[in-house]
Amino acid sequence: MTVDSSPWTDRFRPRTLKEIVGNSRAIEQLRMWMRSWEKGIPKQRAAFLYGPPGVGKTSSVMALANDLGFDVLEVNASDYRTKSRLEELIGRAALQTRTITGRRRMILFDELEGVSGTEDRGGITAIVDIIKETRVPIVLVATAIGEGWEEKFGPLVDLSLLIEYRPVPFVEAVRRLREMADELRISVDDDAIEYIADRSQGDLRSMINDLEAVARGLKRVTIAEAEKLGERDRKEYTPDALMKIFSAKTLREARGVISSALIDHDTLFDWIYENIPFVLDDPRDLAEGVEALARADVHQTRGQRTQEYRLLKYMFNEMTGGVALARRESEGAGLLKLIRKRIKELGSRQADIAIAESPDGLEVKPIRHLDSDWGKANAFLRELGGRWVREKGLWSLPYFRPPQLIWRYRRTWHSRHRRSSIAERVARNCHISTKEAVADVIPLMKVIFQGNASMANEISEWLELGEKEAEWLRS
Amino acid sequence: MEGLKPQAQCIEGFVMSGGMWAEKYRPQTLDDIVNQTEIVSRLKNFVKERNLPHLLLVGPAGVGKTTSILALAQDLYGPSYRNFILELNASDERGIDVVREKVKNFARTAAISSDVPFKILIMDEADSLTSAAQHALRRTMEIYTKTCRFCLIGNYSENIIEPIQSRCSVFRFSPLSEKDAKNWIKAIAKKEKVKLIEEGLDAIYEASTGDLRKATNLLQAAAATQSGEVDDIAIYGVLGRVSPGKVREMINLGLKGEFLEAREVLRTLLIDEGLAADDIIRMIYSEVLRLSISERLKVQLADSIGEVDFRLTQGARPEIQLSALIAKLALTEEEMR
Repeated sequence: MTVDSSPWTDRFRPRTLKEIVGNSRAIEQLRMWMRSWEKGIPKQRAAFLYGPPGVGKTSSVMALANDLGFDVLEVNASDYRTKSRLEELIGRAALQTRTITGRRRMILFDELEGVSGTEDRGGITAIVDIIKETRVPIVLVATAIGEGWEEKFGPLVDLSLLIEYRPVPFVEAVRRLREMADELRISVDDDAIEYIADRSQGDLRSMINDLEAVARGLKRVTIAEAEKLGERDRKEYTPDALMKIFSAKTLREARGVISSALIDHDTLFDWIYENIPFVLDDPRDLAEGVEALARADVHQTRGQRTQEYRLLKYMFNEMTGGVALARRESEGAGLLKLIRKRIKELGSRQADIAIAESPDGLEVKPIRHLDSDWGKANAFLRELGGRWVREKGLWSLPYFRPPQLIWRYRRTWHSRHRRSSIAERVARNCHISTKEAVADVIPLMKVIFQGNASMANEISEWLELGEKEAEWLRS
Repeated sequence: MEGLKPQAQCIEGFVMSGGMWAEKYRPQTLDDIVNQTEIVSRLKNFVKERNLPHLLLVGPAGVGKTTSILALAQDLYGPSYRNFILELNASDERGIDVVREKVKNFARTAAISSDVPFKILIMDEADSLTSAAQHALRRTMEIYTKTCRFCLIGNYSENIIEPIQSRCSVFRFSPLSEKDAKNWIKAIAKKEKVKLIEEGLDAIYEASTGDLRKATNLLQAAAATQSGEVDDIAIYGVLGRVSPGKVREMINLGLKGEFLEAREVLRTLLIDEGLAADDIIRMIYSEVLRLSISERLKVQLADSIGEVDFRLTQGARPEIQLSALIAKLALTEEEMR
């Protein structure tokens, strides 16, 4: 084995098209479009690639550029902040079809999802202007997470050839993982391979990261090793920052965290919002604290709409001081109370568990093992961010859990995708908007699909639904 | 009710076996429409004269606005009417530029193979367009007025700019009477051999308040899950499983101070079910008015809902704002102040 210290995601990054796993249709579409530039400027001067993270969107552009002999000018999230920054960067590149060395040129706008809402409207407009004038191929890449992204990118989407990337199928992920393990000469058990592949949900980048996290330095990887991956996600610096905010006694103290925290204020906001109910366990404190967050959100919106970024300081006051000073009656025991309550609901007695405090959180120890209720309790504790510490025979729960939003969007990617394709059919056939279809009709269709197979079949046929869509309505 | 015929019998050579009943029993020609008699007779005149002005149809949901214009188109153009109309829904279109482009492509070609020299563009939910977009639309209407008639549909005429209103024949659809709405539902139940008893009918009417599409969908869902009689319990059973039922669950959790659980339900509604924030707000509002809490508290909560509603129109984040509202549900009158 050669000694190679570069991250495995780099090492296994596809250099040519042949090395890319999955999404062959999308890549073929992209290839045809790139080839069409050989015969002059095509009708659509931009291609818009979208899909979940880590499925090879950017890689396939790079590999294709390499295969077809293009020089790629790359633009990233940090460049979208202002129109002037973009113009400075692109300059006249979009008008010059060849570089100084005579190679053909193309432009890649990567990480478009980093353009956030109205704030960067200037950015979107600037890109639109560039596309309208360009004489070189422009590829836009967006990792689609979050609702409403179609709307945000509407002006770009309208000008572009839309190409959808999908999660890499499980079987292909397994095969690729096996290849990589062989190349690395590491023996990975089949069940460990499947565990890692399954965990990745079709995101090859995270899969390779996982493999590296587990396998670096090992000769053999077992399922037990792979399962340790569950622990990795939760290492964060953020808990310290949160602890400071939630325990601050003055506005100055709370606000100081904005600059000292290692994360940006948007992420910090999401962490505070996620964890506020665990800390403010008194209803009045909680109502005031969440309202402070809602006010912070309003200040941010105003700042973005007016482009007056000085307004953001009012956001910072609310999200730190507003939350900190809302705490009057709360004991900060929301997590503890929640666990007690849920364990009780699941039918276990208080005597069945022991809960102790540790520096980072709580330790929950089942006194009576193997009780059937523990299946559900375990699932619940895992959902709260808990980690099973085998040596000690207890669950370790951090006081704070990471924001669930992005995770949840990722987890429901397929489901939301299916829902919108059904909504479009319903809208067309029932003469209503997709919004109404989602709000009024689909919920009732679900009732029908779950309760009456023959009526469901008739509707499926009528709407020409695929099996996957019908299944989505049934589940 | 005489007007009620399944589509299968209406369209020659096109047999519909199933699908959503609301579509199966949608009246196909103006003759089939039994309500809105005055409007229908005026529309019939347009068919007779083979000409019509731009139209603006306003009124509550599910009383026959879209049905009327589709029926008119079918009477006017015959079975191939679909070639002569373009249906757009303002809430699904990405900006007025896209609309203009679509209209241009649609209106550019004359309506050949018909004795009617124009096509019809139907724009549903036109009242949701911004006034800037409406002004742009007005210009488009003028440019293509020779080859294309515009039929705009909306709930409120106040939200349509004056220059458009003055260029359209305005038709105001009235809400259906309880009797008409119930007759309609009963007729469909009979056709589909659903044993719908009086209590079930009342429950459907109460939940759909004269919106026939909603009522019909609700009847179908209840019939799908019920082999015997469809009564009020069957209807409430269905209602509990759809979004408003989940909104109620969320509100009840909020009232009990179970914020974490309530927030989970909110996330299900927003993310898993993909409901728009304004739809959730609408449902929360109507639920809160029905709660058995003190009247003063109701007023206070309604005020908070109004505040959230406004903030959302300003671009605030739905989950954060709705969470703030849920957290307030646990407060008493005194604490709200």
